[in-house]
Amino acid sequence: MTDFNEIKETLVNLDEQRLIELVNEALEKDIPPGDILNKGLIAGMDIVGEKMENEDMFIPEVLMAAKAMSKGVEILKPLLSDKETQTRGSVIIGTVKGDLHDIGKNLVAMMMESAGLTVHNLGVDIAPEEFVRMIKEKNAGILCLSALLTTTMPMMKQTIDAVVESGLRDQVKIMVGGAPVTQAFADDIGADAFASDAGSAAKSAKALVA
Amino acid sequence: MNLMGLQDGQYRPLSPEQIETVHEASLKILEKTGITYEQGLEDTVQLLEDNGAAIDRDKKNIKFSKDMIAEQVARAPEKVVLCGQNPKNDLHLTENRVHLGTGGAAIKILDPKTGKVRSTTLKDLYDVSRLVDQLDNIHFLVRPCIATDIDKADYDINMFYACLAASSKHVMAGVNDEQGLHNVIEMASMIAGGPDKLAEKPFISVITSFAISPLKLCTQSTHIMQEANRNRIPVALSSAPMAGSTSPLTMAGTLAQLHAEQLAGITICQLTRPGAPLLYGGIPGMANLKTMGYSGGAVECGMMNASIHQLSNHIKVPNYNSAGLSDSKVPDAQAGYEKAFTVLLASMGGANYIHHSAGMLESMLTIAHEQFVIDDEIIGNACKVLKGIDIDAEHLALEVIDSVGPGGNFMTSPHTMAHMRKEYYNGNGVTDRKSREKWEQDGSLDIRQRALAMAKKLLAGPKPSHIPEEIDKEIKEKFNILL
Ligand code: B12
Repeated sequence: MTDFNEIKETLVNLDEQRLIELVNEALEKDIPPGDILNKGLIAGMDIVGEKMENEDMFIPEVLMAAKAMSKGVEILKPLLSDKETQTRGSVIIGTVKGDLHDIGKNLVAMMMESAGLTVHNLGVDIAPEEFVRMIKEKNAGILCLSALLTTTMPMMKQTIDAVVESGLRDQVKIMVGGAPVTQAFADDIGADAFASDAGSAAKSAKALVA
Repeated sequence: MNLMGLQDGQYRPLSPEQIETVHEASLKILEKTGITYEQGLEDTVQLLEDNGAAIDRDKKNIKFSKDMIAEQVARAPEKVVLCGQNPKNDLHLTENRVHLGTGGAAIKILDPKTGKVRSTTLKDLYDVSRLVDQLDNIHFLVRPCIATDIDKADYDINMFYACLAASSKHVMAGVNDEQGLHNVIEMASMIAGGPDKLAEKPFISVITSFAISPLKLCTQSTHIMQEANRNRIPVALSSAPMAGSTSPLTMAGTLAQLHAEQLAGITICQLTRPGAPLLYGGIPGMANLKTMGYSGGAVECGMMNASIHQLSNHIKVPNYNSAGLSDSKVPDAQAGYEKAFTVLLASMGGANYIHHSAGMLESMLTIAHEQFVIDDEIIGNACKVLKGIDIDAEHLALEVIDSVGPGGNFMTSPHTMAHMRKEYYNGNGVTDRKSREKWEQDGSLDIRQRALAMAKKLLAGPKPSHIPEEIDKEIKEKFNILL
């Protein structure tokens, strides 16, 4: 459907105003809001994500696209059924205790959000108990842990252990990342997935809850 | 050839008016926007309030007046001497005197045997510190890598121990916490012969990343910084924004924000202990806008790191900054030119304590033995530039020209003999200037292979510990030394 192409293109071109117009026009034409979201906005963001991975786009442009998209989502949200808003699961993300690095973690959060996931970004220096509490509170499907220091990597393991202990391990998929983290380390501590950058992190998260 | 501590400042990216403009902009930032803080810094905030800062505790905001900054910054020493365990390695940091050395906390190494990348160990730290000790153009030792094979509780003491055992050059590193700092000071005092002697000749100093750019105090590091001040240990006030992510995209904006962070940090130190020895620690960096990673090898890093020295020089505080990073993953041509550019620019800017200048790859994440050897050569070349060209009767050599006469040659002239070891930078041996035939005979080795062979040779030599034996025993009784 051509409308979706235009929505996708407009998003990739970072034209927020036009995007909002297009979303409203689509609604007027009685196109189902779920389709506008999935086939238009999210599909558009998938293209943006791909461009980001190929380094065809600057991250600030990607962030602009994400912002434009969320404006579109705001319009659609009241019109979507509960099921539709929940489709892709909710994510808890934070930097583990003792670690204050957040630039990469925030990028990951942003990319996941624009991939259609509901993301709760807890911030930095987050204790295992706090992660556990938030998984419960938000009924999360994915837990994302970030660490940039070799000294805080063990805290990832401790956090996973706390999740196991709380009995919530079967409910959540756990992803880990950050410059010193490797796939081998992720396997070692019993995480479900590792990604080395924000684009692949979002892809992998979508795959985990698909 | 001693090429340490040369005066420079020929490369001045900022004009005097521009320096003034940036400085004023920074003061405005501190007056209008202020800085923020988090829980745990109540005492520091109180100290600032008692001395004139405007505090908004609800918003966790601290604003500084121009006068307050001027008064406190004036207390910071104009000259800081960072000593080596061996006095020949003392660094006199002031004005435009240039020193270059290693930089810190890499987590990976290109294994010298296999060439494959792997995590760094305490033994790696010890080995590369021994390399640094023997490479003459590397003037100081900032702990180049992390020991990923030991417990966090044993980190700080073992890191400093490995450096001090392996090298008699000045040793600087960050510490994880105040307990770590106290242990390190205690160990260094044992070597120095007491805390007073250590304060008199500080052969260790501490990097404190007190700022989380933009404009936020890090609670833990600010505590460490103030505790070091109280113990008369010199500190480098590291703040390292990345243009485009944690500071404005523009170089001017990054410099203004960074200078503001430094003015605030210096103020805290001088209020904690008037006259506390410190290095202005602005490290302007850049984000790679395609990934938001750190772009250490960008030529603009060299430009900004020269400029930041102009700003520190403006307030008469010696500075610590960064050059010689590369984004390359291996010691290749990219690593070579990125390092050469930024090292030369920062050196020609007159920066006092340029770290990250030897051994690093992948923007701070990786080190390699061969890279230390190559970078020693790059630093040597850069310092030679600072030395300039001597113009006087002896160097003009008119008499020699006359006596050799038109059509003769200078190869056997006594003047040539007298100057041939001093006039030119002779290199550390890694640079190839052979004929192709000779080079082929010697195995057609490229720079990486030659550098690796040199490093291997240096490490195969004797392993003197720079810590006297009796003291070493005491240290090992007291602390859990794992080396
Ligand atoms: C910027 C930075 C800082 C800033 C952080 C600012 C901020 N708001 O985050 C400041 C100055 C505050 C800082 C402080 C410190 N730092 Co620092 N820092 C860096 C630096 C230069 C860049 C990190 C960064 O932002 N990269 C850009 C982002 C986009 O990349 P990223 O974080 O890797 O994230 C990507 C991926 O890893 C992945 N990812 C990240 N998280 C997650 C999570 C999940 C679930 C997934 C799937 C993927 C994923 O996707 C991201 C996007 O593509 C690195 C060096 C480097 N080159 O990495 C050092 C570095 C990490 N820091 C280091 C150190 C030592 C420190 C300090 C201890 C310094 C000191 N001596 O006081 C303090 C520690 C403070 C603390 N307790 O955390 C060392 C770590 C050594 C070690 N032991 O492991 C490094 C390697 C530098 C070095 N060699 O010295 N640092």
